[in-house]
Amino acid sequence: MFESLQHLIAGFGIALTIHNLFYCLIGAIIGTLIGVLPGLGPIAGIALLIPATYNLNAVSAIIMLAGIYYGAMYGGSTTSILLNVPGETASVITCIDGYQMAQKGRAGPALATCAIGSFIAGTIAILGLVFLAPPLAEAALSFGPAEYFSLMVFGFIVLCNVTGTSLVKSLMMAVVGLIIGTIGLDPVSGVARFTFDSMDLLSGIEFVAVAIGLFGIGEVLANVEKPLESLEGKVLVPRLRELYPTLEDLKKSIKPILRGTAVGFGVGLVPGPAPVIATYSSYMIERNVSKHPEEFGKGAIEGVAGPEAANNSACQAAFIPLFVLGIPFAPPTAILLGALLIHGVSPGPMLIGDHPQLFWGVIASMYIGNFILLLLNLPFVPLFANILRIPKKVLLPLVILFCVTGMYTVNNSVVDIWMMLLFGAIGYLLRKLDYEAAPLLLALVLGPKLEVAFRQSLMISHGDFRVFLDRPISMGFLLATLLFLLIPVFRIIVKSTGKGGGFRRSVGGEKV
Amino acid sequence: MCVFCFMAGMPVQAADFPTKEVQIIIPWAAGGATDLIFRALGATTGKYLGKAVVVVNKPGGAGAVGYTEAMKAPPDGYTLASGITPLTILPHNVKTAFTYKDFEPVINVVSDPGMFLIRSDAPWKSLKEFLDYAKNNPDMITVGNSGAGGGVHLIALAFEKAASVKFNHIPFAGGGPSVTALLGGHVNAVTVSPPEGIEHVKAGKLKIIALFSEKRFEMFPDVPTVKEQGVNFALGQWRGLIAPKGTPPDVIKKLHDAFKKGMDDPVFQKNAKDMAVNLHYLGPEAFGKLMASEHELFGRLIKDMKK
Repeated sequence: MFESLQHLIAGFGIALTIHNLFYCLIGAIIGTLIGVLPGLGPIAGIALLIPATYNLNAVSAIIMLAGIYYGAMYGGSTTSILLNVPGETASVITCIDGYQMAQKGRAGPALATCAIGSFIAGTIAILGLVFLAPPLAEAALSFGPAEYFSLMVFGFIVLCNVTGTSLVKSLMMAVVGLIIGTIGLDPVSGVARFTFDSMDLLSGIEFVAVAIGLFGIGEVLANVEKPLESLEGKVLVPRLRELYPTLEDLKKSIKPILRGTAVGFGVGLVPGPAPVIATYSSYMIERNVSKHPEEFGKGAIEGVAGPEAANNSACQAAFIPLFVLGIPFAPPTAILLGALLIHGVSPGPMLIGDHPQLFWGVIASMYIGNFILLLLNLPFVPLFANILRIPKKVLLPLVILFCVTGMYTVNNSVVDIWMMLLFGAIGYLLRKLDYEAAPLLLALVLGPKLEVAFRQSLMISHGDFRVFLDRPISMGFLLATLLFLLIPVFRIIVKSTGKGGGFRRSVGGEKV
Repeated sequence: MCVFCFMAGMPVQAADFPTKEVQIIIPWAAGGATDLIFRALGATTGKYLGKAVVVVNKPGGAGAVGYTEAMKAPPDGYTLASGITPLTILPHNVKTAFTYKDFEPVINVVSDPGMFLIRSDAPWKSLKEFLDYAKNNPDMITVGNSGAGGGVHLIALAFEKAASVKFNHIPFAGGGPSVTALLGGHVNAVTVSPPEGIEHVKAGKLKIIALFSEKRFEMFPDVPTVKEQGVNFALGQWRGLIAPKGTPPDVIKKLHDAFKKGMDDPVFQKNAKDMAVNLHYLGPEAFGKLMASEHELFGRLIKDMKK
């Protein structure tokens, strides 16, 4: 541990040179911009800028590219809060309470809480990265297909009713998400499913198209039918002292931020859709420990603070498998791996030993980058919050324009834009009929992974289902799932014996 | 409409080609091996071509989306695509609008051998032991691949035939996840092509149990090829550039010459070495023959697989 500290101090020496500070700043700025624009995510951003780093040394290049990655995570929630447009998987949950806060004139506190939460989470997670990286990376390897399957089952059952409304309706939406997730090339046998010989459906339905459609476009359509006066008038005029969170807001947020950081760090080590599981879990936890769960979905600051922290800490944790094992667990780190290769650094088990100046320099730059991002993001809060002063009849068409261009940048595909508009219409209908989009999106992300893990496990075991029970981690997740499903039953038993107090706000506090 | 497009493409004069930038459609996501190689090659080729080379990613459908778009582009030399092994695999797997015949070969740049990796603590010490075990226990050795019907999966199937054994093939979502599963001990072996897993071989955690190239690796001179050990088999994955059918031969020649110079440029040579890719130059004619023979080979393999 002492040795780690010494290395870290040397790392600060590298990161604090004017040259590297400059690239850290550039990365943070570009990352923030990329995060704010829906569609253009960290993956495309890093890939586009790799050629710009050809002439840099490896340390500066990775400092800048890593800055883009975590910078984008900071900015990602901005459009979720202001416009109900989630730019990427990680900011879906922020739409729920963040947008409601903005509608109540509290966009400023929501945005500022995101920045502060991201800063705290980022800083704590980097500490984890410094001291725990090697053992955690080894532990992450014990996740094989069977463990992965059971984790997905657990996530699916526990998180599906994330907003805590009707369980039946949530399950229905989850099933729709599962069905949409089967479109495209079957990942196990390579057979095309539900594509009707269309080349455009071979890759399946783009997640961002569904997310922006259901949330952003759906919201615009729902606004269009409102009386004209409400669209013409200035919606909200936030006063300066309302732009930043009050002391009470911060008090309310600090525990969710810390819990979100812990959840995000743990989930970020697992390969796969960490941002989704981390943010959904954090929201779920906050809603269940809250003393006023009825505020969730109507603008609870805890529902913004927790998931945003979880998202950022998951993003930092994802660097552990990349640096320690040389294995990217998520697409953005896969791009960073490519960038390392271009610069003649082969990430692998020997990276930290062979290139200590790179590893510790980049880690130290992350501390500095997090600080730069906080300084960069807080002054932007009034600017962004003032966007809501624009009358809706002007703002809404701009949102559509924003969504269409953002969508195109994801895959350079026009078909994706049509898909987004189609899901916008569906989103409008769902809103009218009181269905939640969040479970559908969860299922769309987890469904295909669940299927692959299930089939891989059975292929390895030659069709023997005991593979899920023989392995302790897998068994643990399945037992936890079973326990969760039985909680309502326990509660009924407890209630019927007349001692209903203790279970009132247990984890399964849904209205079934 | 098509006639019109063709006519519009006709007036191209090789003498003034190129008058604007040339774009390469990469039918895969940014940041993958193919993307990185052609971004690096594009960067060095620009100065020889006189105009910039721009890389555009059109991912989706295991390459189908990008190839369909490249096929429909005007055949004027301003739109190229990266032609890589899956181009000769995908049309056998699903109904596609294209085959390699809808494109003109320009140049082959890379050819990476396939190989099997196992954990260093695995019970098999040599290829012979590995294959003997596979023979006595058909379908028991699990071999991870980067995706069903992908290049390394078919290489594994072809090796299986050549060595007359049977493996249990487990598909993963890419080369990275399959190597991770091997490190974690969830599969017995993986089929990959470099640079996947190379660093773990260097670190001594994994070892190459079967190498499907004609020559030994420079990096690991002690690892023999399977050919040296009596299994007559060598297969790899190639990455080159193709143009839509009908692109005039003199334009192709100009492109080929520029990209050849880009390949020989010391900057690109260093980039390729850093990425551990195996450069393998082929001119248009030889590259066309390679695609034709691979198309036929993979057609046979997939027919057998689907039986």
